[in-house]
Amino acid sequence: MRAIVVLGRVLDPAGIVVNRRAGRIFVNREEYILPPADRCALEAAMRIKDATGCEVIALPRALFPDDDVLRQALAIGADRAIYLSGRGPDCADDAFMASVLAAAIRQLGGADLVLTGATTLDTGWTQLGPRLAEILDWPQILDAWQVEVQDSMTVVQAVVPADGGYALAEADLPALVTIAAGALKLRYPNGVRLINVYRGIGAVAEALERWEWQTLLEERPTPVLERRGQEFPPERERGVRVSGSAAEMARAVAGALRQRLGR
Amino acid sequence: MDFTFSPEHRALRRMIREFVENEIAPLAAELDRTHRVPFETMRKLGEVGLLGVCFPQEYGGMGAGEIGYCILMEELNRVCTSTGTNVGAHIGIGAMAIYLDGNEEQKRKYLTPLARGEKIAAFGLTESGAGSDAAAIRTRAVREGDSWILDGGKVFITNGGYADIVTVMAVTDPALGARGGVTAFIVETQWPGFKVAREEDKMGIRGTSTAEIVFEELRVPHENVLGKVGEGFITFMKALDMGRLTLGAACIGGAEMALESAVRWAKTRKQFGVALAHKQAVQWMIANMATEIEALRSLVYRVAWMVDTGQPFTQLAAMCKLYGSEVASRAIDMALQIHGGLGFTRDFPIERGFRDARIGEIYEGTSEVQRIVIASNIFREHGVRIRP
Ligand SMILES: Cc1cc2nc3c(=O)[nH]c(=O)nc-3n(C[C@H](O)[C@H](O)[C@H](O)COP(=O)(O)OP(=O)(O)OC[C@H]3O[C@@H](n4cnc5c(N)ncnc54)[C@H](O)[C@@H]3O)c2cc1C
Repeated sequence: MRAIVVLGRVLDPAGIVVNRRAGRIFVNREEYILPPADRCALEAAMRIKDATGCEVIALPRALFPDDDVLRQALAIGADRAIYLSGRGPDCADDAFMASVLAAAIRQLGGADLVLTGATTLDTGWTQLGPRLAEILDWPQILDAWQVEVQDSMTVVQAVVPADGGYALAEADLPALVTIAAGALKLRYPNGVRLINVYRGIGAVAEALERWEWQTLLEERPTPVLERRGQEFPPERERGVRVSGSAAEMARAVAGALRQRLGR
Repeated sequence: MDFTFSPEHRALRRMIREFVENEIAPLAAELDRTHRVPFETMRKLGEVGLLGVCFPQEYGGMGAGEIGYCILMEELNRVCTSTGTNVGAHIGIGAMAIYLDGNEEQKRKYLTPLARGEKIAAFGLTESGAGSDAAAIRTRAVREGDSWILDGGKVFITNGGYADIVTVMAVTDPALGARGGVTAFIVETQWPGFKVAREEDKMGIRGTSTAEIVFEELRVPHENVLGKVGEGFITFMKALDMGRLTLGAACIGGAEMALESAVRWAKTRKQFGVALAHKQAVQWMIANMATEIEALRSLVYRVAWMVDTGQPFTQLAAMCKLYGSEVASRAIDMALQIHGGLGFTRDFPIERGFRDARIGEIYEGTSEVQRIVIASNIFREHGVRIRP
């Protein structure tokens, strides 16, 4: 069995300061981290590897200037990682990347399961998983908190939020599952793998391949988004403090909500 | 000149930062309060390979060199000086002596499980009558056939209460003293004749074991002589050189923690209508702390690089330890001052940091001893021999 995990990177929010008045984001420390949901997807992939012995291959969720996220995945325990190089369009959105990733998966000779984070931390985009599943014509389970592959290795089961609770969703393999941020705690990398993959020595370093994305497709996919500029979201309004007994506070909150909703 | 960290060292720091924030920082206050050694942390550190950070991969290590080890010590001490001390005694002096002077067989048998964290090491040098004057040790080892019989004891041994392996320095020829009469041994604490006599109750680093250990007719096989018979003093001093450098790295972490909290507090606390950050007296303290930390960082990582590239560094290691411990003590003192009365209470970690920092100027050679080492190296170049 083969599982693919699609991973991205975002600027570490701890290293940036947002200054509304200046209308700018100041980057004090330019450090990139795996976005929380992708961390969970990587952990989900590793757990499935622990349980089934499947092969795990890491792919990037965008055309990144370096291969750091892939090295991180190898240090954690992925078997292979493929860095996609080459210049993309100005706005390489999820639609564009889904086509590129589908082509990469075809080039790999297919897979049984694709895991990725349900959303990213910076743009908040959520379409990569669903679009990729559409192109591959696979079933998809979104926002999962837990994933398991059945012993038969033909079915994937996932716990997903539903109606204020959780439901167990099931799909025949091959399938795609996106993982919710905070679902799982990512394990620590293995020290030796970490040093070797970053130093570029040994089998773990050889497991990192470089593919030119343009060689994977005959036609250049077109993004659906176009970047026209950037602006801060509107300033958040101050909240209102309610006081009194629990019943009074509940009534005040309900009243305020009713007013907001215009009912 | 290139002062950038390599990609593997940046990745290592990221991994360690995450590990210490998740696994170590949440325990720090409790360890201090309850005087408890965090065995579970040592096990977890071993599992991810960090207890062998600087040792070669063929001996179960990670192979990240001295720079990697300094990063570990810096990051550990940012959140918990006790854990930093446990790890420092284990890797930096205990296991280090075996790495530096052990033979192939000893490295396979002892260094490998130590690097993997399956066993914990301690370093047994100090005795009640031999502190700064390490050459005055009395623990005796007498040859008996294929073995040596050890009698005596050591005091103030970090990890001493629970270590599996202790590297011990003992007198093998009283006539020769430190020059040829002292030998290093690898001792397994499960052997008959090894006893833990008492645990110290300390003002700081209360999450560490500082124990008095006793050897009563303890039989050590000759194959456990570390290095050559009679050259133990050299082995121990070499291990201490490494230990001193990494203590300097540890002090960067402690000082950084102090600076970070001081900045946070100066931003938040308002007096006379403005945040303390706007007061020059506070700004100057912050500026001094930051400058000293940067100077220390440059010194420590340059020396770590010298170790990794095989250059002599004894004199500089003493400087790392001397300057580091004093920078860390000054930084936490200023941080406490900036916190005012709250800094003096147990509600803030500054108070623990203040107590924890003090040991830096004492163990692995006091500040006075470091100055003696530095000065005697300088004077030796001018033909003057200094006696401590
Ligand atoms: C928490 C803790 C952990 C320790 N861990 C270990 C360990 O793991 N292994 C180990 O072997 N030891 C360990 N030690 C021992 C430590 O290294 C010694 O305490 C230290 O070297 C000082 O020795 P001393 O305490 O006997 O002080 P002393 O040597 O008695 O010194 C007392 C004072 O006199 C000063 N002094 C001494 N000689 C001179 C001189 N010639 N000129 C000027 N001033 C001088 C000293 O600087 C100091 O200020 C530990 C100690 C502590 C407290």
